[in-house]
Amino acid sequence: MSTSTRKLLAVFAHPDDESFICGGTLAKYASSGVEITLVSATRGEMGRRMGNPPYLNRETMAAARELELREACKCLGVQHLQFFDIRDKTVEFVDPDQLSDRIAGLIREVDPDVILTFHEQWGGHPDHCAIGKATAEALARTGLKKALYYISFGDSLAYPESFGYTREDISQINISKFKKAKLAAFRAHRCQTEMDEWVWLPDKQAMNRLGDYEYFIRGNEEALRRDRSDLF
Amino acid sequence: MNPIIQSEVEELLRAFVGEEIHVHSEATSYVFVRNFKLKLTQAFVAGEGPFRVAFRFDHIGWLRMEALTHYELDHEDRLLLAGYDDRGRMNVALHLGKEPFAE
Repeated sequence: MSTSTRKLLAVFAHPDDESFICGGTLAKYASSGVEITLVSATRGEMGRRMGNPPYLNRETMAAARELELREACKCLGVQHLQFFDIRDKTVEFVDPDQLSDRIAGLIREVDPDVILTFHEQWGGHPDHCAIGKATAEALARTGLKKALYYISFGDSLAYPESFGYTREDISQINISKFKKAKLAAFRAHRCQTEMDEWVWLPDKQAMNRLGDYEYFIRGNEEALRRDRSDLF
Repeated sequence: MNPIIQSEVEELLRAFVGEEIHVHSEATSYVFVRNFKLKLTQAFVAGEGPFRVAFRFDHIGWLRMEALTHYELDHEDRLLLAGYDDRGRMNVALHLGKEPFAE
């Protein structure tokens, strides 16, 4: 085992992907000293939720969501944040070759042990699928042996058979001690969560709505070699 | 953003009539067009809230949108119209500016 700092690179599409989907896992590893770099391909500026009551419009949204993401990063312990400045909803129309090259450069620069991104098929939004596909391709281009995982929503992968996976394909991370940080990150994304009443209940009640586990599809041989309860 | 008052929006639209303008128009879940350039020849506001807004442009063009509820003249003198639902979600947007919007 190397004694150097463990590193994680997360390549996502929108501000809030990191919090809503795998905020507990990011908080857990950050608290154990993992250095985390987050990429948000867009600023989520084409989102539909504008606060409740609404206080944003299309032209003010990018700056507001950037601020919210910076705040969420503080809640989770994410140290480094980069934007790719792609317009929200257009990631799939960016030149895929250039996008993969850009991500490959970042993988070489950050030199992470673990990479998180979206599954190109199960991503759930065209931007998610596109950034996931480009990231997997980028890792292949580097030829580096990094563990690649695909993030998943909620506990849909508690029963992976319906997606054609076995339990062996899935890592499950216990985040039960990190719900406070995850909830704080949800609240940091205020314009997106303001209409969800449960987020603003007293802490304990709100935290009860968060699952104890976050699930990840193991995306390559490096990931499959790891223990199922730990990404590293 | 402020709830639309028809007479005020009509007054603000007058500043763009006869001008070359850039428009951002979207039906949020389905389509957006950003930075199309047109010469606005007429602008209409109709309804009792939510409102309908229609433009005539370049002699042959129509742009019509409905479900607009709010407006604002921002610090760059762009007229921003939007339609929100009762939980703050945007359904439609119609923005006019004399300069291009951020790409």
